[in-house]
Amino acid sequence: MKKTLIIIVNVIIIAAILSFVVIYSGYASKDSYRRQITNFENTAVSMEKVTANFLEGEQRVCDVWARYINNKSMTMAEAADYIRSSHVLSNTSAHVVYLDTLKGLSTRPRQGTADDYEVSYERVDLLKSLKLDDEIGRSVQITRAYTNPMNGEQSLAFCNTVVLKDQDSQTLKNAILMRIIPISELEQKWIFAQTELVNAELSMIDADGDYILKGPSFKNSNFFEFYKSYNQTDPESTKQLSEKITASTGSITMLNSHGQECILAFTPVDATSGWTMLAFVPANDLNVDKQNWLLFGVVSAGLLILFLIDMFHVLFLNKRLQTTAREAESANKAKTDFLSTMSHDIRTPMNAIIGLTTIAEKNLGDVESTEESLRKISLASNHLLTLINDILDISKVESGKLKLSPLTFSIVETVENLVNISQPMIKEKNLEFSFHINQMEKEYLYADQLRLNQIYINILSNAVKYTEPGGKISVDMLEEKSSVSGCIRLVYKVADTGIGMSPDFLETMYQPFSRQVDSRVNSIQGTGLGLAITKQMVELMGGTIDCISEQGKGTTFTVTLDIPVADRQREDMKLDPVDVLIVDDDEVMLKTAADTLESLGASTEQARSGLEALGMIEHRHLSGKDYDVIIVDWKMPEIDGTETISRIRSEIDTKVPILLISAYDWSDIEEKAKEAGANGFVSKPLFRSTLYDKINDLIGKESVSIEPEDDYSDLAGLRILVAEDIDINWEIVSAMLEMFGITAERAENGRDCVEKMREAKEGQYELIFMDIQMPEMNGIDATRAIRKLENPWASSIPIIAMTADAFSENVTECLNAGMNGHIAKPIDIKLVIREIRRIREERKQS
Amino acid sequence: MKKIICMLISVLMALELVSCGSANKTAGKAFKPSLDKNTKCQINVAGGYDNFEALEAEFDRFNEFYPNVELTYTKIDDYNNMIGTVLNGKDAPDIYVNYNWMYGRDKYKSSIDHAENLADKSLGLDLSCIRSNILLKTDDGALPMVPIFSNTYGMLVNDDLFKKEGIKVPTTYKELVEACKAFRDKGYKNPMMGFSKGETTSLFTLSIYPYLFESVAKDKEAVKKLNSLDPSAGEYLRPSLEKIKQFMNDGCVDVKNCDEIKNNYDAVILRFFEGDVPMMTASGDTVSGTEKRKSRSEAYIASPFNFSFVPIPMSDEGATFVDMSNLQFSVNKDSSNLKMANEFMRFLITSAELSNMAQKKGLMSPTKDLSFNSMYAAFGNVPDSRILSPEEIGLSDDALLQMRLAVYKVGTGAMTIDEAVAGYGSFSK
Repeated sequence: MKKTLIIIVNVIIIAAILSFVVIYSGYASKDSYRRQITNFENTAVSMEKVTANFLEGEQRVCDVWARYINNKSMTMAEAADYIRSSHVLSNTSAHVVYLDTLKGLSTRPRQGTADDYEVSYERVDLLKSLKLDDEIGRSVQITRAYTNPMNGEQSLAFCNTVVLKDQDSQTLKNAILMRIIPISELEQKWIFAQTELVNAELSMIDADGDYILKGPSFKNSNFFEFYKSYNQTDPESTKQLSEKITASTGSITMLNSHGQECILAFTPVDATSGWTMLAFVPANDLNVDKQNWLLFGVVSAGLLILFLIDMFHVLFLNKRLQTTAREAESANKAKTDFLSTMSHDIRTPMNAIIGLTTIAEKNLGDVESTEESLRKISLASNHLLTLINDILDISKVESGKLKLSPLTFSIVETVENLVNISQPMIKEKNLEFSFHINQMEKEYLYADQLRLNQIYINILSNAVKYTEPGGKISVDMLEEKSSVSGCIRLVYKVADTGIGMSPDFLETMYQPFSRQVDSRVNSIQGTGLGLAITKQMVELMGGTIDCISEQGKGTTFTVTLDIPVADRQREDMKLDPVDVLIVDDDEVMLKTAADTLESLGASTEQARSGLEALGMIEHRHLSGKDYDVIIVDWKMPEIDGTETISRIRSEIDTKVPILLISAYDWSDIEEKAKEAGANGFVSKPLFRSTLYDKINDLIGKESVSIEPEDDYSDLAGLRILVAEDIDINWEIVSAMLEMFGITAERAENGRDCVEKMREAKEGQYELIFMDIQMPEMNGIDATRAIRKLENPWASSIPIIAMTADAFSENVTECLNAGMNGHIAKPIDIKLVIREIRRIREERKQS
Repeated sequence: MKKIICMLISVLMALELVSCGSANKTAGKAFKPSLDKNTKCQINVAGGYDNFEALEAEFDRFNEFYPNVELTYTKIDDYNNMIGTVLNGKDAPDIYVNYNWMYGRDKYKSSIDHAENLADKSLGLDLSCIRSNILLKTDDGALPMVPIFSNTYGMLVNDDLFKKEGIKVPTTYKELVEACKAFRDKGYKNPMMGFSKGETTSLFTLSIYPYLFESVAKDKEAVKKLNSLDPSAGEYLRPSLEKIKQFMNDGCVDVKNCDEIKNNYDAVILRFFEGDVPMMTASGDTVSGTEKRKSRSEAYIASPFNFSFVPIPMSDEGATFVDMSNLQFSVNKDSSNLKMANEFMRFLITSAELSNMAQKKGLMSPTKDLSFNSMYAAFGNVPDSRILSPEEIGLSDDALLQMRLAVYKVGTGAMTIDEAVAGYGSFSK
């Protein structure tokens, strides 16, 4: 309705403007047309003046002759002779004719003769009706156009009456002197000089309307008859028109013989008695209507274009607004759905935690039950924490404030961690799992390990989540050359045989809060944020993430990242010359393990089953060339790894060290394997450093390790000030720190913390863990106050926020206040230890 | 509703296109220009008429094909005497009016000598549309002129009066006498009138000419004698003179009343327009003046009526159509724009254009088809056997003058039949 109204209003405005243009241009056109007509009238008047001058000039010649003839009392022959000798123009002539007989003499001989000068006007209806003024020189006296009887030319004659002496009777007789000018001569002179009036014509009529001179467009022998023939009129109107035209100067509009509208300008010829000059021109020659139509056309087209542009622009804006509204509505709905999901997802683990805590409290005496409850509480807690972390991450992603914190880390550890984390789920769902690495040369890389872990875990955990029990998951990690200097290209590929994704979902899967709608999926826990976070993080790290998926068949995610290589590498990993037998049914595994071992300097042989291995070992044993190390995969057809080991030990009686490898959680089989005779365990994938370390362990050589493993001695005796107002939180953090030999001292609020720092001796505290929301003085103000302390040590002490305010703006606020880091509650002690070590390392470097 | 309107508009547009197309087709069929349509030149037509609006209308039509050709009509004073001079002068026209009576007369030699042979097939003139008996070629087969208008003698008939009184327009002499009697019985004083004050186109001449022509048409000896103005040839006039006498005695005409008609043109027309005369003898020339004179007759303006021009039935076998050429056009073979002059003639000499022009002028068309103008339609119904042309018969102008005077004198009672027969060859105006 509103749209229609707007269109109607627009159309009305356009119509109003166009009407104005039409009216105005019509008025301007009429005005211009009137001016043109006035100009045309003026031109006619000018032509009349020119004509009058010409007529008077010619008449004067005739007058001079007449006066002379009258004064000299000539005979006709004498008069003819006189005129013949007087006029010099070859194209004119003169006739002297007696008025009674209408016969006389011509100054030029008859056509085709040399001496026949006699002329007769008896049969020419001209002189009888001619009214001449007896007084010479008073007026112009001209005949109508007539046929000169001497030569047949259409001519005009300027006349005067003269008195001649009759040669025979010697009496005086009235005669008429005619100075004759051919019409063709006049026509050449008598044209409009103005080039724009090429179609204009002139005519001259006498008082009755008979033409004296006639333009080509003037029809009939009488102008008024011509007018009547082609224009609607009546006798009275014709009479009025006749009076008007013959007595005044002006113009009228009339039709010509073609029915074309013309302008007739008229003005009396003053030099004559009752003659009128007529100027005739087609009205179109004076009209400028075409320009107005052009103006109208241009304005119309312009307004139409404007209207259409406006309309389309409004429609476009409307469409965009609708889209935006839909998007906002969709986003709002997504967030509502998300909050609803979150509520559900948070309540679920919370329910487990609260419920299991209640159960544990009631079963305190039952150690096994309590441990089971605590284990489940821990699992639920971790899930809850994952949810909260995802919320934090997506908040950071959406605000564009997700920052990377690159550190030197071991990709081996990362992968081990990845496998360890996923193992319980894989085991629980009884999935077939394989993890291949290929050409992994560089162990230490420089990147944000936390985020890298998050990427890899997200993808792998999704594969595990969405693959139904009995399915298969295979992970491939490949090191390639990178086009970026100082980097390797790390390709991480996770393929599953899970439920797959629909093409529609593939298009939106990276959008926050989206989850595949599937009856099987709804039972799977998830925040709908994982892929969104993963993609953002991959892109933040300059990498790519690709996905190929088919519903019902499975999904393959490939993450490609260019990661800088850390300065430090274990360049000196070389084994003593050892013979190694690798036993696995997995060809890829066999090849990669053999390549890795050979690159470490070992000699390798491969067996594709336990039985084959038994034969090869026995053969070596009998020939006295036992292998130095045997590596056996756990899961193999026919006889598995433990049975193979058992038979090696029982049937061959060799002491060769045997390593059992598995892609699965081997804690369950550890005892059995040890009993069978395994000397050590290695998790797949088999990294170069892992193999190096394990083989060295087995052959009795200590490997060189860079990172201390489970060695927290560097933290012992450390003193940390913890600003925390909540007692329970204080208890948790102090207890956890104490587990690592760290001494924690409490400040109950911000003000207390500041006071403690002011009074503290230099070096009394290594750093401060600062809660944010505290009574009396919050953590932010306390930090600012500490940074303002005069003591340089005190004012520069590292301060780590330890707060439940976990959103990015909270982190930013903390850092802006002068803090050095941020740890979100609930605290992960590993993160706390890592943060402490980072701070210490930075202080050492500075 | 919108759909219906759209369909209607589409149909109208289609009809308009079709009609435009067909209009062009008709125009194209009538005349196809053979010269460059942008040709720019002047064509001057000379004649003796003061006004020649009918021709000027043809100029306008011709300009539709050749817009840059400027056509003008020039009236030549004392035309018959001056045309020779004009043709030899600087203002020589491209096309000019000519008359077949100028053949063989030295005075008018120029007028014939300057004429192009219009029978030349290369000119492409459609001469077949003109009645052959008025299309007169010279002895050598040339055609110096073509008739533009034709003329005849007959009578104007007040159709409304005939209708009102329930009287049939006569087609035989007997019916004519009966009709006159019937009108007289109904109180009409003058059932038939005509100009009687002079011999030129007098009612006697107009009435008896057809009869006279018919009586000598097939007698070459008679024609020869009549042309020689031999007094003995007067006997050939006797049947006609007796017929005019009978005509006067039969009471169709009251000469006394006819004498009140002052001239053979305006006065004849205006008297007829009084509305009380059922039949008025007239020539085709006179008929051509009727249209313009309607507005000059107060009686006609007050009580207009329908009228037509029919042959006078002076024989019981029926009426005779005296077919005469009126105005003829020649092309000046020395014209500086000869091609365009011929192109104009090719345009003009068609049944449609000649009929248009004749109708506008009010004269009889020289074309075979006379149905274009209802005024002359009755002449189209006369069988070919009763169509006579003086030129075809071969009677000379001098002989015709003698015959005309003899008839006039007998008709007016100035002479007896015997005196008129004996006086043949000695009559003068």
